Amino acid sequence: MATAISTEKNFFEIKKGIASWLFTLDHKRIGLMYFYAIISFFLVGVILGLLMRLELIAPGETIVKPTTYNQIFTLHGVIMIFLFIIPSIPAIFGNFFLPIMLGTDDVAFPRLNLLSWWLYVGGAVFALLTLVVGDGPADTGWTFYAPYSVQTGTNVTLSVLAAFILGFSSILTGLNFIVTIHRLRAPGMTFNKMPLFAWSLYATSWIQLLATPIIGITLLMIVAERVFGIGLFDPSIGGDPILYQHLFWIYSHPAVYIMALPAMGIISELIPSFAKRTIFGYKAIAYSSMAIAFVGYFVWGHHMFTSGMSGTARVIFSILTFIVAIPTAVKVFNWVATLYKGSIDVQTPLLYALAFIFQFLIGGLSGLVLAALAADIHVHDTYFVVGHFHYVMFGGTGFAMFGALHYWFPKIWGRMYNKRTANIGFALLTVGFNFLYFPMMILGLMGMPRRYYDYLPRFTDLNVISTVGSWILAIGLIIMLWNLIRAKKTGEKVGRNPWGSISMEWQTKSPPPLENFDKLPELNEGGPYHYKH
Amino acid sequence: MKDDNHPHIVNYKEHFGTWIGLMILTVMTVVVSVTNANLQMLTVLTALTIATTKAVLVAYYYMHLKFDQKIYRIMLWVVMGLFVSFMILTIIDYITR
Repeated sequence: MATAISTEKNFFEIKKGIASWLFTLDHKRIGLMYFYAIISFFLVGVILGLLMRLELIAPGETIVKPTTYNQIFTLHGVIMIFLFIIPSIPAIFGNFFLPIMLGTDDVAFPRLNLLSWWLYVGGAVFALLTLVVGDGPADTGWTFYAPYSVQTGTNVTLSVLAAFILGFSSILTGLNFIVTIHRLRAPGMTFNKMPLFAWSLYATSWIQLLATPIIGITLLMIVAERVFGIGLFDPSIGGDPILYQHLFWIYSHPAVYIMALPAMGIISELIPSFAKRTIFGYKAIAYSSMAIAFVGYFVWGHHMFTSGMSGTARVIFSILTFIVAIPTAVKVFNWVATLYKGSIDVQTPLLYALAFIFQFLIGGLSGLVLAALAADIHVHDTYFVVGHFHYVMFGGTGFAMFGALHYWFPKIWGRMYNKRTANIGFALLTVGFNFLYFPMMILGLMGMPRRYYDYLPRFTDLNVISTVGSWILAIGLIIMLWNLIRAKKTGEKVGRNPWGSISMEWQTKSPPPLENFDKLPELNEGGPYHYKH
Repeated sequence: MKDDNHPHIVNYKEHFGTWIGLMILTVMTVVVSVTNANLQMLTVLTALTIATTKAVLVAYYYMHLKFDQKIYRIMLWVVMGLFVSFMILTIIDYITR
């Protein structure tokens, strides 16, 4: 900290006005700008999801026509994947807390960081434009599978360009984090003394940097195919649709780990903080993040078991997919082992962490069903898959993000929320979530296909349960957000470390000053999670 | 991290030698193409191998990767390894379909 900027004022107070936010170079403000944008898009995605569930409360046409339903699930997917879950934890909490956890004053490239946010907003505007121009939003599903995406008259080009721009934002954030972690760690903080959240962001950033360009090029190929009719993917003009699926999933499966790894990093922070116990298997958790990122590159073919890929390739991808379960299980065992004989303080963030483990486990184990060739043939493109990935993405990453929000809320805003209300919100969210998604897995096993606005009458009961679950979840979400918004204004003020954690971010004031620390941060003796028992 | 970005001067011989190497590889690419060499499945592999060799030469000599820290060379090779893996896994599907 070379310059003498006041540490009396926190980063909210140091400058006022909208321009001071829109053009800020402060990683904390950029993190919060991401937060407001991402949470807004999340709510739009939730509303679209609720509309889908409402359509499916009964067989036949209920509230929307088939084409509208196709457009709703595409927009729901594009918003939730590209605008919410991929950027969510890294862009919000990574931006806000990575430099603080490393004991530095900002990311390596603050201007690039701001550019990432602006690119995110630009990509979002393109995505929203699809609603109002041309023939409406794409109706292809978020995967933009060829040849349909080449032939449909809906706004595929604009949607694809939105994803392309968002990809740039993701790449720049990844690059920034990699350089920050390599160059700006506090003196004495070796890689093996780095917080596990930073490790997870490091692994994530490498995926963002190396895999995202592939989807960028692939999406441009779709545009080229639509505009010039080159014949890359459309078989009627000599293309190969399976090549598109290869290229799409070479990025989009590692992207699943862009979504999941930061969430695992959050859980690795929450568990020792509330178990008040040294984390079990620090190195195993840290290195398993890198292992997941690495192995995750080679498993994309499991999305294509029924697409016409060769039998040999299917067997290879099936085996590789099973391997990725190993480092994931390593993490789960270590989290549970950390809790064992800990002085567990059951607070809202820990509840979210425990729900994460439970739901992520269901999501992960159902993933093994899909990785098994013979089983996948039966459940591919059924509601089983929809249930599976919502357990991983929402039950896992979504809940980890809510846990992080409740954990770091007092640090960001300097106030504490009503814990009882937060617990009620958590309970409703968890119950609603499981009522919403578990029936989907049963429906899938019964044979109900995904992406249809209609179904056979025998699927009605479970669909009703699922839709009622969506309402419970929505109520839980409203309670959670209302509680946090209220706490931001009127919550009880808190000191530096309301949870009694030993992580570095709790050494500074709440909210932190502009340059993060009002006194030199101290590395914890024996590592970042070395609690004295 | 150790700072070993010490100044270094690359002699003309090395620069010129690299250029000659790149030219030879370019000529090879053109010859394979214009003579319609019947390499069948190896055509793509040949083109990619020549292009990769040229890229590595440029990165090592003209972009001074050879004189930089080892970690940057490792990063390059990891990325190259990933790319080759993507190609192999995709091609396995095509040749066994």
